Amino acid sequence: MKTDPRAVKTGVYYIDGDVAAGLGALAAGCKFIGGYPITPSTEAAEAFARVAPSAGAMFIQMEDEIGSIASIIGAVWAGVKSMTITSGPGYSLMMENIGFGAMLETPFVLLNIQRAGPSTGVPTKTGQADMMQSRWGSHGDYELIAIAPDSPQEMFDYTIKAFNLAERYRCPVMIMSDECVGHMTEKVVIPRAEEIEIEPRRFYTGLPNEYLPFKPDADLIPKMAKAGDGYNLYITGLIHDERGYPVKNEEFKSAYVRRLVDKIRLNKDKIIEIKEDGTSDAEVIVVSYGISSRVAVRGIERAREKGIKVGNLRLVTVWPFPDEKICALAKTIKAFVVPEINYGQIVYEVDRCSHGKANVVLVPHGGSGVHNPDDIFDAIVYAAKQERKIEGVIEYKTKLEKMIFGGGNKLKE
Amino acid sequence: MNSIITAFAKGIEKSGVKPSMICVPSDIPFEPEVVDFLGVDFFHTTRGRAIPFGTGLKLGNPALKVVPFIGGMMTLGGNHFVHGSRRNMELLVICINNFVYKKIGGQSVPKAAPAFSPYSTFDEPFNIPHLGNSCGALYTARWTALHIDELANSIAEALNKRGMSMIEILAPGPNYYTDIEHIESNVLNFYYENSVIKNNEDPRNVEITPEKKIVVGKFTDKERPTFLETYNTQLGSVLGDKFIPYGFVPPQNKSGGRNGGD
Repeated sequence: MKTDPRAVKTGVYYIDGDVAAGLGALAAGCKFIGGYPITPSTEAAEAFARVAPSAGAMFIQMEDEIGSIASIIGAVWAGVKSMTITSGPGYSLMMENIGFGAMLETPFVLLNIQRAGPSTGVPTKTGQADMMQSRWGSHGDYELIAIAPDSPQEMFDYTIKAFNLAERYRCPVMIMSDECVGHMTEKVVIPRAEEIEIEPRRFYTGLPNEYLPFKPDADLIPKMAKAGDGYNLYITGLIHDERGYPVKNEEFKSAYVRRLVDKIRLNKDKIIEIKEDGTSDAEVIVVSYGISSRVAVRGIERAREKGIKVGNLRLVTVWPFPDEKICALAKTIKAFVVPEINYGQIVYEVDRCSHGKANVVLVPHGGSGVHNPDDIFDAIVYAAKQERKIEGVIEYKTKLEKMIFGGGNKLKE
Repeated sequence: MNSIITAFAKGIEKSGVKPSMICVPSDIPFEPEVVDFLGVDFFHTTRGRAIPFGTGLKLGNPALKVVPFIGGMMTLGGNHFVHGSRRNMELLVICINNFVYKKIGGQSVPKAAPAFSPYSTFDEPFNIPHLGNSCGALYTARWTALHIDELANSIAEALNKRGMSMIEILAPGPNYYTDIEHIESNVLNFYYENSVIKNNEDPRNVEITPEKKIVVGKFTDKERPTFLETYNTQLGSVLGDKFIPYGFVPPQNKSGGRNGGD
């Protein structure tokens, strides 16, 4: 299905990632954003709010982030594509309703422009420390999709993709961007409307008295109905049967939650997008996402100049995690180097999937800035030298950390 | 709760609104049978978030009639009520208040209801109609579970009101430890003896205290533009022809009724 031409601002722009995401949402067919301003995500909502009224869409500033996410889930059930936009503290407030959205199999998109945490942290500076929260933040078992764009152009493109994935798999989709990408100004090309493919909602079209709102199709995903169409919906965050009616017994509970996670897990191959370069004959592979993948490129270039065989594996989709891919690569290489702006989140996933077959080196960063490419280069050189498997994740001391905490590298080189 | 549902059904019938266009986001779970009986769409939301969920439903499809049921006595999500009223969002908020049951002095208290306050409660209750009115809600009323006809009339009126309406309903909250006879003999009898109907009473004077009788009635019924009306006016005046008015509401089908949810 092609998108609505009124919502596409075709042209070549020089804009930041936030604005690109706002325009991407419109182009994806988003008709409603309920949001609450928070640095550094505000520009995305502003961009949407500026263009929405002439594209048949609406932005409403809700009273808080809990109200924002509750309103977009409501709007989705009223039949429109919806999104909310936030950062750290607002993201924490939204957690309960993310699980609610997953439970109701509500397709919505949440743009999180990560900032340095914890708590209020540094509102205007970058961080990548919400990655585990995006996966596990709400209580209970559920699966969702998270994408980490690394440029303003990708903020536009992957916002559209996020909406398409949400509709396809009927689940919340997180765009886990960060302040650097959000506030990075680059060239963004917005194509013509007829070049933008969007996934329509899969509405049920049969008879109302035969409709079971949670009866899955063969691909484990049920068809949706919208409020006001006479389907007499009963939709609840309680564990429910195919009719949507609450049930308590363990068979139903197991069957329902199993399907909720399986509809993502069994479709992983279709969902996951990774970008790799030089991984086939590499001895060290840098695994990165978001802004860290931009910084990593320079470190990788320098290492290649030195003759080290370095591969670059960029996680565009962070959740679900590409277990099989990492597992397969671990057997062929010496080490993974994982630069991320936190003290270890995705690196533990890499370690889990490498099953002790390869060393895993974390290049940490406390936030408020990005890595120095020299640190990534040094970590690659270090990782390439290691022959013996060192148990657990190795934390590489960056120049910044050495400067702050004194002492040498705790690792024996 | 049964008498509230009866009044709700009567109110829907009287209002002429097609039940299939009514959405009930609620932080209290209804029995599925009740939803079948009413023919509405029902959403059991997260605790305290029925009003913003309803705001999304209304803005997602402005043709819907959205009736959030809330039970948290304006604790969880009280802020959403305040801002829904301020915006004049087109919602009919039904606030079910079972608080009186254990609050009013001298009444017998169910065995386990005050589990969190084993030594009885002492803090002041909200005067909810006054809160709604002062925040900008157009229509405020309070009834007890005994006033079924009056409540049905209020619901019918409020369903056709363009703007934020709220009806507080005092109703006993049965739980696992109370039996129905206990409720009938004590609470409903208490409502009967201690409530007094005063329509158009200033909402400032309708607080619930142990000393006074409970004032019920339709307190306020005002007019002002709804959120969507002001939105369309403002953006239309700034953007002119470029603005696409949001949410054209097609004329309501008046031929609804209890079983009209086709």
